[in-house]
Amino acid sequence: MNTQWMKTDVLIVGGGTAGTMAAIKAKQANPQGDVLILEKANIRRSGAIAMGMDGVNTAVIPGNSTPEQYVREITISNDGILNQKAVYQTGKLGFEVIQELESWGVKFQKDAQGEYDLKQVHRVGKYVLPMPEGKDLKQILTRQVKRHKARVTNRVMATRVLVKDGRAIGAVGFDVRNGDFVVIQAKAVVLCTGASGRLGLPASGYLYGTYENPTNAGDGYSMAYHAGAELTNIECFQINPLIKDYNGPACAYVASPFGAYTANAEGNRFISCDYWSGQMMLEVWKELNSGKGPVQLKMTHLDEDTIAEIETILWANERPSRGRFHEGRGENYRTHGVEMNISEIGLCSGHSASGVWVNEKAETTMPGLYAAGDMASVPHNYMIGAFVFGRLAGTNAVDYIADLEHIEPDAEFLEAEKTRIYAPMTRPNGVPHTQIEYKLRRLVNDYLQPPKVDNKMKIGLRNFERYQETLDLMGARDPHELMRCMEVHFIRDCAEMAARASLYRKESRWGLYHYRVEYPEKNNEEWFCHVNLKKDSSGEMFLFKRPVEPYIVDVDIETEVYDVAVR
Amino acid sequence: MSNDIDSELNQWLEMLQSSDLSDRLVAVKSLQYLGDEDALEPLIAALGDESLAVQKLAVTALWELANPKAVPALLECLASPDLEIRAEALSALGELISPDRLLLLLDALHRDDLNMQLNVLILLRKIHDVQSLPYVLPFFESENAQLREAAVTTLRYLNQVERCDRAIPLLSDPDDSVRRATVLTLGHLVDSEVVPRLCQVLTSDLDWQVRRNAAKSLELHADPAAVVALELAIADEHWQVRKFALQAWQKTPDNRTMPILIQALTDEYSDVRREAAKSLAALKNPAALNALQQSLDDPDRDVCIYTQRAIETIQAATKEISNA
Amino acid sequence: MALITQRVDVPVIVDESKCLEKCTACIEVCPLDVLAKNPETGKAYMKYDECWFCLPCEKECPTNAITVQIPFLLR
Ligand SMILES: Cc1cc2nc3c(=O)[nH]c(=O)nc-3n(C[C@H](O)[C@H](O)[C@H](O)COP(=O)(O)OP(=O)(O)OC[C@H]3O[C@@H](n4cnc5c(N)ncnc54)[C@H](O)[C@@H]3O)c2cc1C
Ligand code: SF4
Ligand code: SF4
Repeated sequence: MNTQWMKTDVLIVGGGTAGTMAAIKAKQANPQGDVLILEKANIRRSGAIAMGMDGVNTAVIPGNSTPEQYVREITISNDGILNQKAVYQTGKLGFEVIQELESWGVKFQKDAQGEYDLKQVHRVGKYVLPMPEGKDLKQILTRQVKRHKARVTNRVMATRVLVKDGRAIGAVGFDVRNGDFVVIQAKAVVLCTGASGRLGLPASGYLYGTYENPTNAGDGYSMAYHAGAELTNIECFQINPLIKDYNGPACAYVASPFGAYTANAEGNRFISCDYWSGQMMLEVWKELNSGKGPVQLKMTHLDEDTIAEIETILWANERPSRGRFHEGRGENYRTHGVEMNISEIGLCSGHSASGVWVNEKAETTMPGLYAAGDMASVPHNYMIGAFVFGRLAGTNAVDYIADLEHIEPDAEFLEAEKTRIYAPMTRPNGVPHTQIEYKLRRLVNDYLQPPKVDNKMKIGLRNFERYQETLDLMGARDPHELMRCMEVHFIRDCAEMAARASLYRKESRWGLYHYRVEYPEKNNEEWFCHVNLKKDSSGEMFLFKRPVEPYIVDVDIETEVYDVAVR
Repeated sequence: MSNDIDSELNQWLEMLQSSDLSDRLVAVKSLQYLGDEDALEPLIAALGDESLAVQKLAVTALWELANPKAVPALLECLASPDLEIRAEALSALGELISPDRLLLLLDALHRDDLNMQLNVLILLRKIHDVQSLPYVLPFFESENAQLREAAVTTLRYLNQVERCDRAIPLLSDPDDSVRRATVLTLGHLVDSEVVPRLCQVLTSDLDWQVRRNAAKSLELHADPAAVVALELAIADEHWQVRKFALQAWQKTPDNRTMPILIQALTDEYSDVRREAAKSLAALKNPAALNALQQSLDDPDRDVCIYTQRAIETIQAATKEISNA
Repeated sequence: MALITQRVDVPVIVDESKCLEKCTACIEVCPLDVLAKNPETGKAYMKYDECWFCLPCEKECPTNAITVQIPFLLR
C-alpha cells in the first residue's frame, strides 16, 4: 500500500453543498492560496443535492421577510435552544447566496414580473422558494469550483482530523479505489461531510434506503469528536415524515402550494402546517397511534393539470426515482394519497439541530477547525444555511491562516491510524460490514427511537459501548468494503453520542425529537440550555450544560410556543 | 499538471473526430466532464454531428460550459426535428440568454418554423423587454393555438405593458388553453374593459379552469365592481372556482355576501370551508358567530383553527365598537 | 468465515449491447461508488448492492444503457 502526502492551505473535507461553496469562497478571499476539496465520491454528483433540489426551504428575501423575523421563527420552532447569532447569518447572507447562485446559472422560480415566487410553508412568513429546474445545481457548483481553481481530490475518504499543539493541522484518510493511505497537511480544516444519515435502520431493512444520501454516515460528527471539538443538541434527533418505504420526501413543500396537504386516513387535516418540526412529528406520531392513520399526503382532490405539474417537478429533481416507486406499486397521485411514515432517526442540523458546535463564524471550539452544513449545529439550516456556513467557513479560514505555517503531524498518530484503518483488510474473512452495520442500526432502532425510555436507552448505551469490540470482527476484501467498514465506526460513535445526550437531558423538548416518557414535560428552569459533549483528556465522552447565548432578537419563549395542532 | 489536462483534452478532441460513433459519444461525454473552455469550438461543431445522440450531448456540454458564445449555435437547435434536443437547448438557453441577445431572438421569431417560434416566445419571457411587444402581438392572430397561447403568456412577462386591448378578443378563443392563459395575463392589465370581461368569463365560460383563473386575476384587480360575479362564483360547481372566488372576494369584503359565505362553511371541500371562515373573519360581522360556532368541530384541523380565529376577530372587533 | 454465493435482485440493470467499452461515465458519478467495469466484457455492472436509487448513473449515460429500479425491499 502506498502513502500519498498532500499539502494545502485550506483543506475542505466533503465537497457537497457546503464544501463546494467553502472552496469557492476561500479562493475568492485569497486567489493565491491553495484550497483542496477532499471528497469520498465525485463532487459532480455527491451529497444531498446530487440530483438537485426541489426548492430553497429557508430563503429570506427582502420585501418578503427579514433576518429578524426568520430568527424569531427558528427560535420558536427550535424551542428556544439555539445560538441566534449563527441563525441570523443564514437570514442575513442567504439572499446574497441566492443572488450569487443565480449569477452562476442556478434557476429559482420567478413570477411573471421577474420577482422571486416565494411560498408559505412555515407557520408564519414565506420562506420557501421553489426551484423546479434545480436538477443541475451540483454541476453548476462543480463548474465554479473549477473556475475558481480550487483543487479537487475525488474518491478519498477522510477518517480523522490531524491535531497538534491544540489546533487542526490536516486530515488522514484513504483512497477508496486503490486503497492508498492519504495524509494531507493543512493550515485550516473545514469539515462539511453532511448528516449522520445511516444511524437508525429504515423499516424496510435496506441499509441504504435512507432519507439522507447514505454516503453521509456521520463522518464529520465522529471526526470532530475525536479531534476534541464540542458537539451539541445531539439528543434533538432528526425524524422526518417520509413516503413509507421509499423514505424520501413526499414532498409537501412542493405540493402544498399547489393545494395538497397532509391528512389522516379520513382525508382530514390534523396539523395546520406542513413545515417539518419535532412538534409536527409528534402530532403525526399521535395520529398514527390514534387509529386514524395511516397518514397521507393528499392530492386526489386536485385536477389533472395541477397533478401533472406537481409530477414534473417531483420526478425531475431531488429524488427523481419517486415516480418509479409509485408506478411500481400501481399508485397514482390522482387516485391514491401518498402513504407517509415516521422515519428512523438520524442526526442533522439541516433539518433539526444536532451537530458540531459552531459560532457565527463557522468556527468549532477547536482552533483551525471549521464546520458547515448538516453537521454544524445551526438549527433548521437546510440548503441555504449550508451555503451560508460554507461561505463563512471558507472566508474565515483564509483569515485565520494568514500567519500560520504547516506543522508536521505526529508520526506515532499516523502509524496508529493506519493500523486502525487497514485492520479489516487483515481479516478478509471477518464478518462482513453489512451484517455488523445491520445489527448496530437495529439496536439504534430498538433502544433510541422515540418515545425515549430511560431503561431502554441505558441498555442501548451498553450495547453501543460493547460494539467497539464487535467492530474488531469486521473484515474487508477491497478498499470499497473498507470504506463501508470505516463508516460503521462513525455510525457507532454517533449512536453512543445519541444515547448519552438523550439520557443527559432530563426533560422533553422539540416534540418527538426528544420525547422522554419519564420526563414528558418541557422544563425551562433546569434545561433551558444546550447539552454539549466532547472527548475529555482521558478519552471519555464528557457531557455538560452550555448556556444559551444571549438573544439578539427578543423572543419570549415562555409565551411563544410552537404549535401546529391546537386552535 | 496542466500538461496532463492538455493531453487529456487533445485526446478527447481527437476522438470527437473519429468515424466510430461510440468513440464520438465517449469523447463528447468526457469533454462535458472536463469542462475545458478550449473545447468550445469543437463542441459547437459537434452540434452538426450526424448522430442525434452526439448532438444532444453536445448541447448539454455547451450548457455546462455556459459560455455565451454558444448562444447563436444553440438557438439553431430550437428548430431541431428531435424533441429532446429542442428541450435541452431550450433549458440551456434559458440559462444563457441575456438581454443583449434580444435582436437575435426577434430575428429568429421571423423564421417560418413552428418549434423555433414557440421556443423563442418562451425565451422572450426571460428578458422581460417591452421592445418585443410589436413582435409578439401578430401571434395573437396565428392559425396555431399553441402559438397564440405562448404569445399571450409571454405578454404577461413583458414589464411595463399595462394596456393591450389586442389581447382581449382571445377571451373568446375556441381553444381552452388559450383562454386559460389569456385570463391570467389580464390579471396584469388595466384596460377599462378588463374587469367587466373577467367577470363575464368567471360566470359564463364553460371551462372551469378558465373560470378559476379569472378568479385569480380578479384577486389581483381587487375591484369592488366584481363582487356580484364573485358571489355567483362562490357557488360554482367546481370547488377550485369556489375557493379562488372566495380568496378574491376577501380583497373587497361586502356584507351582502354573508349568507353565501355561511353556506360555504359547510362545503364538501375543506379548502373552501377554510376560505369561508377567513372571509367571515374579514367581514367582522357578529351575525356570523352562530354559524362559526358550529364549524368549530369541523373534522379538518385547519378549518377549526381558522374558524376559531374568525370568532376571535369578530369578538374583538365587536368589543372595540362597543367600547368606542 | 465461509463464503457463499447468494443471489440478490440488484437495482441497476445495464443493457450490455448499448454500453460503450471506453466509457466510464456512470462509474465516475455514482455517489456510492457501486458500479464497475467487468474486466472481461468491458461493460459496466453493479458490483455492490448499496444503491440510493438517486439516478445520476442513468442520467449521465450517453447511450441510455442503464435502468435503475427501486431496490426490491422497498418496491
Ligand atoms: C432528500 C433530501 C431533500 C432535501 N430537500 C431540501 C429542499 O427541498 N430544500 C432545502 O433547502 N434543503 C433540502 N434538503 C437539505 C439540504 O439538502 C441539506 O441541508 C444540505 O444540502 C446539506 O449540505 P452539506 O454540505 O452539509 O451536505 P452534503 O451536500 O450531503 O455534502 C456532504 C459531502 O461530504 C462527502 N463526505 C461525507 N463523508 C466524507 C468523508 N469521510 N470524506 C470525504 N468526503 C465525505 C459526501 O460525499 C458529500 O459530498 C434536503 C435533503 C435531502 C437529503
Ligand atoms: S455510462 Fe453507460 S455507456 Fe458509459 S459505462 Fe456506464 S453504462 Fe456503459
Ligand atoms: S442510482 Fe445512484 S447509487 Fe444507484 S448506482 Fe446509480 S448513481 Fe449509484
